[in-house]
Amino acid sequence: MAKHSSIRDQLERDAWRNHPLFAQRRARIAARHGSSSLRWQDRALLILAIVLVLLLIVRVETARAESGTAPFWGIEAAEPGGPRSVALNTDFVVQVTGLAARVQVTQRFRNDGAAWKEAVYRFPLPRGSAVDRLRIETGGRVIEGEIQEREEARRVYQQARSAGQLASLVEQQRPNQFETRLANIGPGAEIEVQIGFLTTVDYRDGSFSLQLPLTFTPRWESADAGAGKIWPSDAPHPVLTPGGDIDDHYLTVEVMLHSVTELVSIESRFHDIDIQPEPGGYRILMTDPDARSDRVFDLGWTPEFGTAPAASLTTWDGGDAVYALLMLAPPLAEAIRPLPREVVFVIDTSGSMEGTSIRQAKSALRQGLDHLDPEDRFNLVRFDSDAELLFPASVQPSPYYLAQATDFIGNLGASGGTNMAPALDLAMGLARHAGLLRQIVFITDGSVGNEQELLLGIGEKLGDSRLFTVAIGTAPNAWFMRKAAEVGRGSYHHIGKQAEVEERMTALWARIENPAVQNLQVDWGMEAEYYPEIIPDLYAGDPLWLYARLPFEPQEVMLTGELDGRSWQTVSRVSPLDGGEGLATLWARSRVEALEDSRIFGVDAAEVRRQVLDLALEFGLLTPYTSLVAVDRTPTRPAAEDLASEGVPSLLPAGSALSAGFSATATGWPLQLALSLLSLFIATGMLLYLPPSRAQHAGGARRPGAAFSP
Amino acid sequence: MRNARHWLSAAVPVTAAFLSLYFAVSAVWIPLKAELAQWLMERSWRESLAGGIPRPPWPWADTSVAAELGVPAYDVSLLVLRGNSGRNLAFGPVLVDSATGSRDIVINGHRDTHFRFLRELQIGDRLRLSDQDGDRWYAVGELEVVDSRRYEMIMDGTAERLSLVTCYPFDSPVAGGPLRYVVTAYAVQMSKAPRRR
Repeated sequence: MAKHSSIRDQLERDAWRNHPLFAQRRARIAARHGSSSLRWQDRALLILAIVLVLLLIVRVETARAESGTAPFWGIEAAEPGGPRSVALNTDFVVQVTGLAARVQVTQRFRNDGAAWKEAVYRFPLPRGSAVDRLRIETGGRVIEGEIQEREEARRVYQQARSAGQLASLVEQQRPNQFETRLANIGPGAEIEVQIGFLTTVDYRDGSFSLQLPLTFTPRWESADAGAGKIWPSDAPHPVLTPGGDIDDHYLTVEVMLHSVTELVSIESRFHDIDIQPEPGGYRILMTDPDARSDRVFDLGWTPEFGTAPAASLTTWDGGDAVYALLMLAPPLAEAIRPLPREVVFVIDTSGSMEGTSIRQAKSALRQGLDHLDPEDRFNLVRFDSDAELLFPASVQPSPYYLAQATDFIGNLGASGGTNMAPALDLAMGLARHAGLLRQIVFITDGSVGNEQELLLGIGEKLGDSRLFTVAIGTAPNAWFMRKAAEVGRGSYHHIGKQAEVEERMTALWARIENPAVQNLQVDWGMEAEYYPEIIPDLYAGDPLWLYARLPFEPQEVMLTGELDGRSWQTVSRVSPLDGGEGLATLWARSRVEALEDSRIFGVDAAEVRRQVLDLALEFGLLTPYTSLVAVDRTPTRPAAEDLASEGVPSLLPAGSALSAGFSATATGWPLQLALSLLSLFIATGMLLYLPPSRAQHAGGARRPGAAFSP
Repeated sequence: MRNARHWLSAAVPVTAAFLSLYFAVSAVWIPLKAELAQWLMERSWRESLAGGIPRPPWPWADTSVAAELGVPAYDVSLLVLRGNSGRNLAFGPVLVDSATGSRDIVINGHRDTHFRFLRELQIGDRLRLSDQDGDRWYAVGELEVVDSRRYEMIMDGTAERLSLVTCYPFDSPVAGGPLRYVVTAYAVQMSKAPRRR
């Protein structure tokens, strides 16, 4: 065709070409053609960029899996474990006498199903509670429980369970976690399990408070070792359930507050209450009919307080011995003159601190430096496999030294082993400054294996220094850190997440700034067995409790110590208010704790078990080795009916996050590898085809498309 | 414009090549480290079994071997470390800390290195956990996928069981998902090792 083109053809074609429509189309085609062939490297570049970005994302995820511990996801509630037929409601009746509170918890189980059930319910009690009573009430009959050795109690319960008898077992699973089992709840039956325990009221900053934890967030924290024996593996695991539309877990609380002194205020932090004055005290009723057991019940009351440390002593005559509780209330913080101090910060920079822990530790340290007063001295020790002291002798917090310390902190990384002893030795062995109180602030996750050795070392070399432990991270070795602070006569603080750093360090500072009475000694006037054995210093805002067993009624108890650098003493006379038999139980409870703790100091576990067992049986105490069991003698469940076990969930704490206790357990390396190989491939391809691409590129500028554009 | 593109078309691929090479090496380093660490820990483990004071697996190590996890059916033998941190997970499965002393044992591991074999486990498979006190045997009782945003593991001081936890799904290309695969095994009495499959 083209060969025979005449002039007319040529003209026609030119006319067509010049036609605006045609020209437009041509231009469009040219542009499209030009862009696709012109910029093929641009496309490759784009792909390369995308692959690289993906790679970077994957890389970041991988790095996170490598260094981060448990990541936290959003708040979401656990699903209830299937339909439940056992409902539970709880009533609390509390009698507060002086410093002890006797609590009766009534757990009302109701079986709404058609089958016979065994209910399993785990619940928290305040730390240090002494559980000593159990009774089951059904249809007007009362069955009293008794303390038995754990294995024996289990055997008795299992036997009753299979025989179809109504039976209940209460066991301690962790220091503050208990479990009720109630077997053979008939269809439609309602059965009450009453658990009685003793606890002490708390005192802080001039106010008393009673806290009843009503649910708990199970954490990655240790289950108490206890005397582990195999429980039938089909035992239901308790789950947490969100509140919302469930029709149980109702709660009532009634508190009788016996008080001889006038109270300034009574308040409940999370629940509405009604206060009725009565002879000898106040009756407090929770008024919210819809209250559920999804948050702590926190009742506070404030008596009139003086500005001097005040001691109070209550006793109870148990016949062969007298039990006493001595409480020393510190003066209010405003009444204390802060003493100049030498603060030695010790920071753990070992590998186990890597990730969020070291960041938290560093900001805790910076916070600590901010709190220093001009008269104070400070120093820094960091340690991993070896220990390093920043200043040979402690220095003033002048801008110059502070800048040096900040630099030092900024450069800290986390690697190496955890060798604590040399660091503590360095801190405790620094030359003394006359008139300065040495306080060691020890920031670590406490992941050590030689706890016993360390505690002994602290006890031996502490001298006049005081040790404050700051535990870092989601699962620090809390037990060790708490004990170290106890031996070090300081206090224990825990920073679980970054947001808590400021609050916790301020709390720590409030305490270490205001040591009220130091080097306390108690003269009981006779041989006394008292706990805690190491008497801590008295700090503003924290009272001191001592439980003692004495051969006979004391007339008065003398306390001596140092207040504001001068010697101080006070005499406490026995209060006319009878302490009640609860004092014996509370004394036994603190002795059990001391015995359990003695394991770390090398006391044989079997020996501890034997002693605790004796004590628990004598005082009727629930311990890791003893349980409460109650059995109805007459069988209720027909032998032909089966018994199904059901876990009664605890409510999720209201408004609180359920932290993910799972670690990140994927590295994502295969994807990272694939992506990097892909981008390597593209990059190599681009490099190899670079010369032709350049030629094409150069030619592109002279494409006819440009010539045709109007 | 033309010069800039010319310059870019050479520089970008070269940079990309280096970057991806670096990432490739660091990706390969993960499984390599996982293997290497296990190999290095062998010696320290043997020493502690012999009753001596174990040297750290490598001089700057901040962890030690807690136990050996064996799954004869799949020819798996892994050294389990103390300290539940991301860093330790790179070296081997880790014992969830404060559980020490408890009979309710939880071990975490990476799904794409040490705990890859978890997907193969079947109910009834035997697991062995060995430490200074000797061997303990467990039989796999439950295989579950758990949403870690919704559930937490509850440690039961009275249950004698072993839980192996890893990320799920096994083939998910991206790390950091919320699902976990939990293998729960219960203690069994066993006088002899089972025959291999």
